[in-house]
Amino acid sequence: MKPLRLLALFIIPMGLIIAAVPQNKTKPYKLTADQLLGEANARTQYVAPEIVADMIVKKDPSFQLIDVRNQDEFEKFSLPGAINIPVSDLLSDKHTDILNQDIKMNIFYSNGTITANEAWMVTRQLSYKNNFVPEGGLNYWFDAILNPQKPASTSPDEEFAKYDFRLSAGKALGGGLTVQTNQNQSSASSKPALQSAPKKKKAAGGC
Amino acid sequence: MGPLSVNELISENTNLFLAFIIGIGFGFVLEQSGFSSSRKLAGVFYGYDTVVLKVFFTAAITAMLGLLFFSLFGWVDLNLVYVNPTYLTSAIIGGMIMGVGFIIGGYCPGTSFCGVSIGKIDAFVFIGGLFLGVLIFGLGYNIWDGMYLAKFLGSPKISTTLGLSDGVFAFLLIIIALVMFRVAEWAEKKFPREQY
Amino acid sequence: MVNSKESKKTKYLNPYVGGVLLGIVLLAANFVSGRGLGASGAIKSVVVTSMTTIAPSASEKSGFIKEFTASHSGNPMKTWLVFEMLGVLVGGFFSGVLAGRVKLKVEHSPKITSRKRLFLALTGGVLFGFGSQLGRGCTSGSALSGMAVLSLGGFITMMAIFGTAYAFAYLFRKNWI
Repeated sequence: MKPLRLLALFIIPMGLIIAAVPQNKTKPYKLTADQLLGEANARTQYVAPEIVADMIVKKDPSFQLIDVRNQDEFEKFSLPGAINIPVSDLLSDKHTDILNQDIKMNIFYSNGTITANEAWMVTRQLSYKNNFVPEGGLNYWFDAILNPQKPASTSPDEEFAKYDFRLSAGKALGGGLTVQTNQNQSSASSKPALQSAPKKKKAAGGC
Repeated sequence: MGPLSVNELISENTNLFLAFIIGIGFGFVLEQSGFSSSRKLAGVFYGYDTVVLKVFFTAAITAMLGLLFFSLFGWVDLNLVYVNPTYLTSAIIGGMIMGVGFIIGGYCPGTSFCGVSIGKIDAFVFIGGLFLGVLIFGLGYNIWDGMYLAKFLGSPKISTTLGLSDGVFAFLLIIIALVMFRVAEWAEKKFPREQY
Repeated sequence: MVNSKESKKTKYLNPYVGGVLLGIVLLAANFVSGRGLGASGAIKSVVVTSMTTIAPSASEKSGFIKEFTASHSGNPMKTWLVFEMLGVLVGGFFSGVLAGRVKLKVEHSPKITSRKRLFLALTGGVLFGFGSQLGRGCTSGSALSGMAVLSLGGFITMMAIFGTAYAFAYLFRKNWI
């Protein structure tokens, strides 16, 4: 009986400990300060607003727009298909599945770039992948995409090409601030359901 | 940090090599505990040798506790560890057929390899039978694939199904296992057999 | 085979110690590879390889083969389980040598013949092989490893295996005791 007594003596307290301790749900891996600073300096998170516009127009499924401003501002105006996760709410459990995946690009935007960058920093620290910030934020978006300035006649061709693209993208996206009120209603009613993306690669097993 | 292979901290080939090493450990412990003997294995069903019960449940709770503690210390991400899926119909029927196979053959695949490694001819024949059994399954797959794929419930955990936390369930299982060990020891005293 | 000679005591590990050690091996498998131990899958690899070698065109149409290749690309023998089972052979042999148990023989109850024992082993093997495919694992893969990760399916299969074996134990008692 002695080995059994010994086993029980050791294993019961361990069982009690594990039963009492709350389940660990945090991801262990994090970036170091150096790594984060390096990435911030390299400005790798920036993406040109034209690219974002293009993806919206083409209904590209590989990204999700995340508006990190507060709810009021989101309801006044938001980019089509965007979901609202105010930066203060970023760490809450209910958004973990949406943010922590490497299937869709997370594109954080705000009015300028400060708040969006805050979101980027936080999620990067948590080692989430695929996080981006459109250059210039919404302010630049209005100017560049929705109300593009016709380039001077002496500008190079690429400027014109950019202008044409922005014009058509802007039209496709409802262009101009005047259309804002309509967009308001539609964006309120057509807020996409927050789905959780599938988890990344797991081990195979069985048999 | 863990699982190492899934977090790509080791290459696929290293993973396979470590599988070999882990297998050596597996085979060694099994044989040392007597699982190379079909008579010892069958003993649990007659009470004269409960080594299967003791080793099996001790191993299960050790590994279970180990994983939970590792997760607690942040050494392993339990979300990345494989949890066997639940296909209700085939889990039960397959288990029943295996149960009959176990009581007739006295081995299971893992222990039969163990038996072969020390020269047991009946273990070798058992493995031959395994090959045939799997082959029959494969050839007639269209006949039973309906049953095979029925009632897929995903990969639920027992603790979630019972509405308990993993830790609480582990503790309950420990208590149940210890009680079973006590009963097993009583049974061995009651149904003694000569050593073999 | 004279029983009195065979019944000299051979030394086995204390079962609880063995259990803890086995648990540590299982823990290592989960830590390193994110999966538990297993055995029947290695047999499946061999069967798949045989089927595709002997009848490649028919195998292409087989639902069984398709199910296998859906989750395993590349050579069906280059799998975790095959390597593991090779290790089991080595480990078991090593242990047997250490304990002086390596001997070519048919182990059976004195109440039945060797031939009967071999017949029973074959029958049991066929049943177990078939059942392991339905159950998506055997006692190592489904029951033991499943329990360690708290899998419901593993637990159910384990109950089915042991419950059925107990239920049929009386019927087959003459082969063992």
